[in-house]
Amino acid sequence: MDIYVQLLVNSLQIGAVYVLFSLGLTLIFGVMRIVNFAHGEFFALAALLVAVAVPWLIDFGAPLPVAYGLAFLGALAGVLVLGKILYEFAFRRFQRDMIGSFVLSVGLALLLQGLYIEIFSSASRKLPTLIEGTLRILGGAITTQRLVLCVIALLVAAGMYWAIASTRLGKALRAVSEDHEAAMLQGIPYRRIALSGFLIGTLLAAVAGALLAPVVVIGPVIGSSYLIKGFIAVVIGGLGSIPGAIIGSILIAVIESVGGYYFDPSLATIAMFVMVMVVLLVRPAGIMGNG
Amino acid sequence: MAKLPRALLVAASLCAVIGSYFSGSDFAANLIIWVAINVLMTASFRFVLLIGELNFAMAGFVGIGAYAGGIATTMYHLPLALALLLGAAAAGLISLVVGFVTLRAKGAYFLLVSFAFTEVLRLIYSKVDVIGGNSGMIGIFPPAYLARFYPAIVVLVVLFFLFVLYRMERSDFGKILVAIRNNDDLVQTVGIDVHLTKVWCLGIASFVTGICGALLAHANNVISPGDFSFLVAVYTLAYLKVGGESHILGAVLGAIVLTLLAQYALGFGAYEHIFYGAAIVIGVLLLPDGLFGLAQRMLSGRRWPEGSGS
Repeated sequence: MDIYVQLLVNSLQIGAVYVLFSLGLTLIFGVMRIVNFAHGEFFALAALLVAVAVPWLIDFGAPLPVAYGLAFLGALAGVLVLGKILYEFAFRRFQRDMIGSFVLSVGLALLLQGLYIEIFSSASRKLPTLIEGTLRILGGAITTQRLVLCVIALLVAAGMYWAIASTRLGKALRAVSEDHEAAMLQGIPYRRIALSGFLIGTLLAAVAGALLAPVVVIGPVIGSSYLIKGFIAVVIGGLGSIPGAIIGSILIAVIESVGGYYFDPSLATIAMFVMVMVVLLVRPAGIMGNG
Repeated sequence: MAKLPRALLVAASLCAVIGSYFSGSDFAANLIIWVAINVLMTASFRFVLLIGELNFAMAGFVGIGAYAGGIATTMYHLPLALALLLGAAAAGLISLVVGFVTLRAKGAYFLLVSFAFTEVLRLIYSKVDVIGGNSGMIGIFPPAYLARFYPAIVVLVVLFFLFVLYRMERSDFGKILVAIRNNDDLVQTVGIDVHLTKVWCLGIASFVTGICGALLAHANNVISPGDFSFLVAVYTLAYLKVGGESHILGAVLGAIVLTLLAQYALGFGAYEHIFYGAAIVIGVLLLPDGLFGLAQRMLSGRRWPEGSGS
């Protein structure tokens, strides 16, 4: 019994980050029809900025929680600036051109990764623990820090889900991703909504990266492995679908933690791929996709 | 487009073959081999782009060709020609099966699945002990009596398959491929099986890719799972974008220029990423038709006299 609870807890903490990550991917795809290969680099930049800023702030004498808080906000701001730059100078001209924008994002991902290695050096970083202690839930163990991370990630995801379902901007985003021409005919300002959608997606990746910074070892290529998992999650769920991204992320997280426990991590990845093949065979546009 | 003087192309090809035969130093010979293989990989990548799909599984099929060729040479001591053929056949056959499943999806879905396929193959190589697991296979040499001719052989094989791909693109089959990219529903209505045509397209491209893999394995002598990550496909994409995708010569041009330029960037670690990344970004943003399109536009001012080879 203990082991099942533990696996569930593990799935939850992996899944929480994947949900944030793939929500951003699917949102950007929905609004702009862009498969953003550079999404992992937003994530990596946030983690790297936190990893650099926290020790720096501590040197200035800031207490640990304050250092984390400031670093977190700084990282989000930094990533938003990067997102805005990429949107203005690159992606804006390639929306709705799926192949062109994908090629562009591949180039940007490679370029950014190279720049990160130059700027942040390829050394791995580990940050001091923010919240000490381990909690036991029904026989499963989780560090308090990871639990807090999960809860924040899930709250952000839930907030996002609510915002997209109910707010004015959320409705506009959904309208644009269903049919952008019909949306424009209704007077929805497509360009502004596209920018908002892109920046929200960017921000979600940044939140995921910044949240993960205290609990993992951070290197400049940290984005790649999350990118692959995130892609698999949104393909399974259906590109552009918000519930699909959540379902896909949870499935991936369960496969990763269960497969990783009983077999080994690379077999779990292979299992994910087999699942993608099966899903595509039955539903070529993903579980929740329509098209 | 303006007809390119055929004599010029033939002359250039002959020079390439003869030059590669006389390339004395190891470095020059290796460089010629890399350039030639990259050219053919780019052309095969472009062949699948004719149906409008970005085939990231290509990196995986290079790996299959390399491993199959390597096994044929090191374990069964088959002749080089047979090893190359086996590499190509393995990649081609597997791609038919994979394509049959994955090509039901198109656009973003196919692209992401083909990307995942490449990464999963890499994991599988590292798990199989017979082919060396993580450390890979060693000792894949062309037979000793052919070693001296190897660069010339590679160039010849590459030229032959470039010609085959070019003829196929110009044939009725090639026209169907382009029609599928433009409007697959319309193609279906005239009674052509779109799905099977796509599968064949991927199969042909992967056969050629498999040859590239086998050639590469015999040139590098050592292969390991890390050599066949999705980056292979990304680099190929860079060649194609910089060269221009409207004509097969764009692929050739891009692969030659970037592979030679990359020699300067190589060995600086991170600079390789920056180099290829910047090449793609610049290619997409500033050269939408690539170097080939640029050359075409410059030449269109004063048209090339037809038939004259200067």
